[in-house]
Amino acid sequence: MNAVTQTRDNQTPARHEPALWPPVDVAEDPTGITLYADLPGVPRDKLNLRVDGDTLAIEAELALAVPQGMEASHAEVNLARYRRAFTLSKELDADKVSAELSQGVLRVRIPKAPHAQPRKIAVNVG
Amino acid sequence: MKMHDIKHGFGSLWDTVAEGWTRLRESAGSALTRFRPGEAANLPPRGEIDDVGYLPSHTWAMIGGDVFEDDRRVMVRLEVPGMDRKDFHIEVLGDTLTVRGEKRFERESSEGRWRMLQCAYGSFHRSVPLPAAVRSEDARATYRDGVLRIELPKAEVRKPRTVEVKLA
Repeated sequence: MNAVTQTRDNQTPARHEPALWPPVDVAEDPTGITLYADLPGVPRDKLNLRVDGDTLAIEAELALAVPQGMEASHAEVNLARYRRAFTLSKELDADKVSAELSQGVLRVRIPKAPHAQPRKIAVNVG
Repeated sequence: MKMHDIKHGFGSLWDTVAEGWTRLRESAGSALTRFRPGEAANLPPRGEIDDVGYLPSHTWAMIGGDVFEDDRRVMVRLEVPGMDRKDFHIEVLGDTLTVRGEKRFERESSEGRWRMLQCAYGSFHRSVPLPAAVRSEDARATYRDGVLRIELPKAEVRKPRTVEVKLA
């Protein structure tokens, strides 16, 4: 059973503006999950990461305005936002989410709740 | 097909089985780029990957690009997140700018399993036609927030001189 599953887009609330869907890598190890998302052109202050109950939502705005005084002779990046959401399983501790953004790559770490982590049992030599 | 449709359609490919792949390929034009992982890409072993949509031999990703110009310069912007500056190779030949790169998979190793592996890794190249002649020797490139920006000053166009011919 996956700890993180893709939420269908029509469940994300409010905004109906079209947004880009960033590609994502998700690794799961015994102590938690690590999620990586490609968000080129997003500075730290335009990134919005939210945990709402069991949903992790990534929303970001690109800061890719046309440079002043210039004209676009070829433009492919028309949309200004990224949006993607995931459903987190109960074994994840949503209160302990940590994230960092570097060169357009967002890294989110969510540890598993203590009860869901493997517990080492010390064996006493009798 | 707008970029939004392309990227959304591309993203949902991972849930469905490559439906509409041909249509996507035809519409995306030059933005849809092939990444070829070689040894240097350092991808995790196949046994650790649970993503059913994953294809180890190659991945496709969008490298969105824009070209802007004014009187003095041409600016090219390419979205390639997660790169190391030294892994970019930028060249200008005639009126084409080519960016080559190697995007490496650099993650902390743990005894983990990859539930999703959608980001592209490996070597890629993207050629961009330039709208004007440029002085490539004076070009400058920066890489910030995962966006490569290349500024190329335009070559001066020599105005034709009118020479008056006097009648003898």
